[in-house]
Amino acid sequence: MTLEDVSATGSPARPVSPALRTVLRTPASARARRELLFCLAGLPFAIPLPVAGFILALVIGRLATTAPDPAPGDLLLALGVAAAMLPFLVVTGAARRLGAGWRRLAAVLLGVRVPAPAPLPAGRDPGGRMMARLRDRPGWRAAGYLMAKFPVALFGWYAVFCWVAGAVNVSYPFWWLSFRNHPPGVHLSPVPVFTPFGWFGRGTFYISTFPGTFAALAAGTGMLLAAPWLTRAAAAADRWLIRGLLGPGTLRQRLADLEQTRALAVDDSAALLRQLERNLHDGAQIRLATLAMNLGMAREKLGDDGGQPDLLAVRELVDAAHRGAKDALGELRELARGIHPPVLDNGLADALATLATGSAIPAAVTASIPRRPTPAIEAIAYFCAAELLANAVKHSCAGKITIDVSERSGTLQLAVADDGRGGADPAAGSGLAGLAQRVRTVDGGLAIASPRGGPTRITVELPLRA
Amino acid sequence: MRVVIAEDAAMMREGLTRLLADRGYEVCAAVGDGGRLLAAVAEHRPDAAVVDIRMPPTHTDEGLRAALALRQRHPATGVLLFSQYIETRYTSELLRDGAAGVGYLLKDRVADVAEFADALARVAAGGTALDPEVVSQLLAASTASGHASGLAALTPREREVLALMAEGRSNAGIASALVLTAGAVEKHVASIFGKLGLPPSGNDNRRVLAVLRYLGSPLSS
Repeated sequence: MTLEDVSATGSPARPVSPALRTVLRTPASARARRELLFCLAGLPFAIPLPVAGFILALVIGRLATTAPDPAPGDLLLALGVAAAMLPFLVVTGAARRLGAGWRRLAAVLLGVRVPAPAPLPAGRDPGGRMMARLRDRPGWRAAGYLMAKFPVALFGWYAVFCWVAGAVNVSYPFWWLSFRNHPPGVHLSPVPVFTPFGWFGRGTFYISTFPGTFAALAAGTGMLLAAPWLTRAAAAADRWLIRGLLGPGTLRQRLADLEQTRALAVDDSAALLRQLERNLHDGAQIRLATLAMNLGMAREKLGDDGGQPDLLAVRELVDAAHRGAKDALGELRELARGIHPPVLDNGLADALATLATGSAIPAAVTASIPRRPTPAIEAIAYFCAAELLANAVKHSCAGKITIDVSERSGTLQLAVADDGRGGADPAAGSGLAGLAQRVRTVDGGLAIASPRGGPTRITVELPLRA
Repeated sequence: MRVVIAEDAAMMREGLTRLLADRGYEVCAAVGDGGRLLAAVAEHRPDAAVVDIRMPPTHTDEGLRAALALRQRHPATGVLLFSQYIETRYTSELLRDGAAGVGYLLKDRVADVAEFADALARVAAGGTALDPEVVSQLLAASTASGHASGLAALTPREREVLALMAEGRSNAGIASALVLTAGAVEKHVASIFGKLGLPPSGNDNRRVLAVLRYLGSPLSS
């Protein structure tokens, strides 16, 4: 999405109000489709556990004696039996495997990326393994998810019903005249019109004439407009459950995260120091040593030891030394700027503006940072911008670049966008992966939108303080 | 005198070539890495090789390894290691096979052209040229470990003379560096050898060995 699109979406000049547009567009959106698929996929997964409980309850004989409609007591019993199966699911490892399946499905369809919990430590003897599995917290939490999933899946099922029944209702006017053109005097049974309020029961009404199909059309349209919000609610509930129950424990996750990012930060700073030493060694140090050598030679040529001065050679050597001194100064200045650009002390906006003026492709900076981030965050944001800008100049073939930095709800948002050829890939070794790692060390994030053919927009989100 | 230079920074390499050529050395080859250094020495059989320690491809100690290989294959060629740092480990590896025809200098020393040329000449002639930095590291290490207890008995002047001896300088070199007469230097040297309990030695090279061994260097010959 380009910057222009963003500004166009909220434009008040359009005749249709944004809210209405959203309602009308949602049923056709890709997101609604994925959420519907998720609810549909949920059915076969969600059913076995309670159904197994039901069958067990039947086997026990409790249900056989009561009326065909299950009584609330029987439902409770079935749930109780299902709950009794939980230890079985945990000990066999089935709970973990089912949880992993759900995690993958949610990642594909809902975009919820929940990392897997730590794997179960392998025990040696079967008894020890069994005990380890009984104490396996992620296993128990996965089992808890399977239980909690049941009501959510039922609700999801209802949402699916709204989709299907709505679609059926909407279709009536289109086929009615083809199939209902019977000769007068023949009576066909009326056709049911589903509503969100019932399933062939009190909530369903029946139509038998063509004008009646318009009532069905209206009901169906209403249901189709409402259905995506129902599937979305079901998906949201599920997302919440998955985050809470199928990931590693939150504290444990945080600990693992912090351990990992600390290692990254330490490696990163060591690598930076190494690079710095290398630059000094191969750059300024060599230049200064050569400079000293030239001056030493010049001194000799001046007839230091009583000989005849060779002024021509001296001039040449002093010229070389002079050039060397200037080169060394330039190199040291670049190096110092690479460590910490002095203009950063005036704030990120100034520093980015300076950065943009040196860009080979025209770059425009917009900044709105009412609250100033800490110096460390400013430095990270600056170096991210510098690297993203350099990447864009090197790879994008763009005609213009925009750098946008703003403070939004307690985070610093940096976006570098270009109208180039796109296809930026962190796996391709363009430094994006390293950038993402560096950003992670302060709990930030980096998002890449760069389809082939462009445009590219890379967003970095950072907390205001590390 | 014929010399081969191995240095990866082109600027430095050219400067060195010019410096040595100016002083009448014949620079047979100036190369940028260890492999080509070995090839150039095998081809030209020079009197000495000036070798940078950090060179491609790994930029760690290629030069040192090439220098050790040179010492094995072409003992007649003096090796002057040349680096921006003095590393104790490199010193001891370099001196393990003796101190004859070996030098180890900071790159800064090229600023004093005459001294640098003198050091190279010593190495080419089978002598020793150790950087003052190397010697002060050796002195500090022996003082700290306490194994060279005789050092405490030396006067400050004698310590200066000892350091210059350790660098591989001749009596004349010491005399000009400290602005002393040759006779005064000889007296200091005799006094130092007496205090440290070293056998007197007329030969510069054997004198260096004795001093370095006294300072705890791993010398084998």
